[in-house]
Order: sequence, then structure tokens, then C-alpha cells
Amino acid sequence: MSTSAVENQADGRSTEDLRAWLTQCVALHVQLTPEQIKPDVPLTDYGLDSIYALTVASEIEDHLGIDLDPTVMWNHPTIDDLVGFLTEPEQTA
Amino acid sequence: MTGTQPPSDAAPGPATAQARLAALDQRLGDPWDSGNPLGFTAVLEADERAEMFADGESALDAYGLNAEFVPVAHGGRLTRVDHLVEIMRTVYRRDPCLGLGYGFSSFISSVNVWTAADPDQQRQVAAILLRGGKIAAAYHELAHGNDMARTDFQALPSGAGRLLLNGRKEVVTNIQRSDAMVMFARTDARQGSRSHSQVLVEKDRVADGKMSYLPRFASAGMRGVQLGGVEFRDCPLPEHRVLGNLGQGLETMLKSFQITRTTLVGMFTGALDTGLRTTLRHVHDRRLYGRTAAELPQVRSTLAGVFLDLLMSEVFATVSTRALHLVPAETGIYAQAVKYFVSKTLIDAMNRLSGVLGAHFYIRDPHSTNAIFQKMLRDIQPAGFGHIARSVCQMSLLQQLPLLARRSWQPGVPAPDDLFRLDADLPPMPFDRLAVSAGGRERLSSSLAAGLQALSADDPAHREVRRLAEGFVTDLAALAEECSRLPVTELAVDASSHSYDLTARYTTILVAAACYETWRHNQHHPDPFWRDPTWLIAVLHRLSAPAGAVRAPLPEHIERHLFAELTERHEAGQGFGINKNGLPAG
Repeated sequence: MSTSAVENQADGRSTEDLRAWLTQCVALHVQLTPEQIKPDVPLTDYGLDSIYALTVASEIEDHLGIDLDPTVMWNHPTIDDLVGFLTEPEQTA
Repeated sequence: MTGTQPPSDAAPGPATAQARLAALDQRLGDPWDSGNPLGFTAVLEADERAEMFADGESALDAYGLNAEFVPVAHGGRLTRVDHLVEIMRTVYRRDPCLGLGYGFSSFISSVNVWTAADPDQQRQVAAILLRGGKIAAAYHELAHGNDMARTDFQALPSGAGRLLLNGRKEVVTNIQRSDAMVMFARTDARQGSRSHSQVLVEKDRVADGKMSYLPRFASAGMRGVQLGGVEFRDCPLPEHRVLGNLGQGLETMLKSFQITRTTLVGMFTGALDTGLRTTLRHVHDRRLYGRTAAELPQVRSTLAGVFLDLLMSEVFATVSTRALHLVPAETGIYAQAVKYFVSKTLIDAMNRLSGVLGAHFYIRDPHSTNAIFQKMLRDIQPAGFGHIARSVCQMSLLQQLPLLARRSWQPGVPAPDDLFRLDADLPPMPFDRLAVSAGGRERLSSSLAAGLQALSADDPAHREVRRLAEGFVTDLAALAEECSRLPVTELAVDASSHSYDLTARYTTILVAAACYETWRHNQHHPDPFWRDPTWLIAVLHRLSAPAGAVRAPLPEHIERHLFAELTERHEAGQGFGINKNGLPAG
């Protein structure tokens, strides 16, 4: 059984659910539709500014119930990178 | 002057901050004495020439002001940043150009070094400062303003452990006469938040022909401050001149500038102190309608109000500065709130004083008694835009409101008592514990509700404090409700005015909490003025007016109390801020 933050969720939220939630969250912030956010494009390209990304990191914390470094989105600048990081086995809740 | 001569008596000694402050004050002498070579007449003459005040700089060299910017661990005198603020207020009261242009710009660059650099770099920077040198903080580019992530100036890796410097920095204090520069540079061509770094450039190591200066930028205020620019062309720099790791620049800036953004605005209160003193001298001398202008109720009301603004600005700035030592994880919020609230309060107060001075505020003759006022009025303006713009802080606070509502505005754990106890010692500045973001967590606002339990139900003054303070507790609850429902579209730069006003309500609550808790925790203060709740009632009264509304006058007995204190301090030659006699012993 994986120990990742995602798999640890009591409701069994899947990686794909997380990807969809993150994409929706970012899309809202940059005022685009989720379909317009490509998973391999840095989110700064869509206008997500560096300071705002710190606030979004806190939203991810609250959504997943875990503690994250506030710069998580700086270090993992695309949806793919972010999902990859958040589903690593080391990201225990 | 490049200040490379060792200051004559700058060696850090065992002197307390209180003794150092007194020594600086004594060295600068009476500002109003026209025979004092360090007085206002000489300050104004230098300003008219748009030059730094040379004799003032020599006096600060002799005092060794730079040592105040260097932590004790590196051979300087810096342990408490609140002490640094009080020492710098003495300089700002004399000449804000000296405050910024002599030294504080070196502090802005060096906090990056104390926060992120390796021990060798820290030793080098300490050595430059302790021998009286200057270090420019080369961040600004005209094309990008406060948008640091768009910085174009390059220090791109070019192989063999080297970076190549290319591009311009513009409108930077002391860039030409500095010995070294901390430069904010793009170290990765890609967009992103890990694409920038600070690099330490020592000018004597720059190869010939690779660096040139741009013409000086003239300015409306702070005329003496040498604002310049620099351009680099393919200038090699060893990669080990990066502060910290490559790509850490934005993070280092956001952490370390919490110190300078909080403290810089706190120092500008010195300019208002001089503005208020100038006005008081004028109204006591000026006879109108058979009496002095100081006897006119409207004049007294304005002066009492400005005094109150100065006090509450210093209380809020002091609590936020103490927070840097005690709760550094929260100071990302307070630094922005101080900039947003205090800068406007000070500038508005100066504008009201200019109304009292009338035509006299407009006089520029350096030998005129009131001419220092027009300089202070111009020089105080950068409080609102220098180092970071007030509007950027407001925008940043706005983005954090829903998170704050969720994480901090429910009744919770109050802030530690020592945040407010003015006689409580502080641990050395914990540069390594600053956080890039507070993550929506602060305890100052909710301290107010918790602290109100200490009030007596029998004392009428306490009942008045409670009545006024409960308004802010109620507003915090309303704000929490509203902000938790704010749509994401209202958190962006194109948010409505109503949403921007929510930040004003929030910062007002922070100020009210800081003032209430400062009063409550200083009931043993040696000065009865601070123990008495009248100043607090006045603050809460003043803060109760909605943003933009015409403020109701203070109750007459409160205004009388404030004006009496102001007059007493004026006649005794004391300061108008939180420390009327300099720093407490210790």
C-alpha cells in the first residue's frame, strides 16, 4: 500500500482526481478553463505569479491535509511536476 | 566620498544601545542652532545643491553607523532591529537623505547576506561595512518596478564555473559610489520563480571596460540621495559570488526584506517628528487674533491628532519589529501591513501639518526657521513607494485574506506577551527562521479578543476601551465571514474597490490589537502616560472611522490630554514617539 499523501486520503482520492483538482484550482486563479491548462507547461506561463503561488500552496495543504514547503509550486512548476511530487511515496500525510 | 577610511571611533564596544543612541544624538547636536555645522541650515543647503550632506556623513562615519547594520557575530553591533530603528530615527529626524543615502541602503543589501550567504561572503560584507564602505542594493529596473520575477538583468551560467553579467540596473541608491553591490539577477533564462539569484559584485574585481554608469536620476524628494544606474556587458563573475544557491534569489528576497520593509517605514516616523516639532515652534511664535496660533482650538486639534498618528504608527511598527525576533514565521504579514498602514498615516499627517503652517510650509530658504518642513514633506514620500510600493503590499495582503480567514481569524492562541512588553529583552535576530510566506498564519489580530478579558468592569475608562475595542473584534468576525467567501476573481489585480477595502479593515484591526496589547502589557511602564488608557481610547476612537470617512473629532478631554503631553514633550525637548527619552536602559 502506498504511503503517498494522495493514496492516504480516506476517500481514496486518485492521482487523476488530484490532477483534475489542481488544474481546476490553477485555472480559477488565472481565469482560464481547465482545458486551457496543459500539464507540461510552467504555470507561470499562464500568469500564475510567484507570490500567488505561495498562497495556492497553502490551498493544496488544506485540500490534502498535509504540510508543504510554501515554495512547492516554485520547485515543481507544471501540473505534471506537482502531481508527481505530491504522489511520491515520501509525501506522507 | 567612498568611505574607505576606517572610522575613527567605530570599533564596536560594549556600549548599550541606549548609550549609543545618546552618543549619536550628542554628536549631531541641536538641529535648530544655526551655528551648528550639523544643524538644519546646513542640511538644507546641501539639499538645495542636491548633494549628500557631507559633514553629516563625516559625523556618521565617526560614529560608525555602518556597525549598526552588522550582526555582533560578524563584528558589528546589531543584535536588536528595534534598537537599530530607534538609532536610525535620530538620523531621519535630522536628514532622511542621510538615513537612506548614508547607510540604510547598505542594510537593505546586507540583510540578503546575513540571511542567505555563506560564512566567507558574510565576512567579506561585514569587512566592507565595518571599514565604512557602502554596498548598493541593485534590484530595480525601470521596466519592471516591483515585479522582481520579471527581472531582466542577467548573470547566466557560461560554463567553467562562471556567470556572465549583462544588462542594466536603474534608479539605485549609491550605485556609483558603493564599494560592492548585491545584484538581483536572472540566473536562468526560463520564466519561473527559481530563475533568479543575488550575486555579490565587488567593484575592484570587475574587469576593465565591462561596467559603466548611467547618468544620475534627479528626484523630487531625497534630493541628495545619489540615485544612479549601471550597465554590464559580458562581465564574467565566479559562480561562487552567488548568495546561497542558484535560483534562491526570490526566496532570499522575500525572507530578508521582511526585516527592511518593516524597519524602514518605522524609521520614517523621524521625519514626522521633525515636521510636528517645526509646526509646534511655529504656532507658539505666531500671533493671530491677539493670541498665539497654539491657542486656537482647531490648531490644537490638528496637532493632537498628528501626535496620536505618530504614536500609533510607532506602536504598530514596534510590535511588528519585535515580531521579527519573536515570531519570524508570521512577519510576512506584518511587514506588508506596516508598509500599508504606517506610510499613509505618516504622509497624511504631514499633509495636515502643512495646512497648519499655511504659506510657511512653502518656504525653501535654508535660513528660514520653517524651511526644514518642506524638505521633510518631500523626503517622507518614499515611505509609500520606496523599497516596495504600498499598493503592492495591499495587493499581496488581499490575496491572503481567504487563507487568513480560514487559518487565523477564529478565536485561537494569542501572540506571546513579550511581543508587546517594551521592557522585555529580545533574542538576537533569527535570520534563519524567516519564512518565505506566513501561510495565512498570524496571531496578532486574534490577540485582541483574548486580551479584552483583562479589562475591569468597574472602571469607566476600561468600559470605554472595551466598547471601542469590541467593535474591532466584531469586525474581525465579519471580515472572516466575508473573506472566506471571496471568489478567486476578487483576489487578482483587477479586484473591486470593495475587496481592496477589506485589506484596510484588516490592517486597522491589526493596529488596534497592537495598541491594545501594548497598553495592557505595559501597566508597569515608568511613564504614567503609557499606563493611562487615554492614549489607547484615542487610538481606538481614531481607528473606528471607516476607511475614507471624515473622522469625528476626538472627545475634548482626550484631545486636551494629548495636547498637554505633546506640549510637555516639546518643552522638554523630548521625542514625540514611543521612546520619548531615547531607549530604555538595558
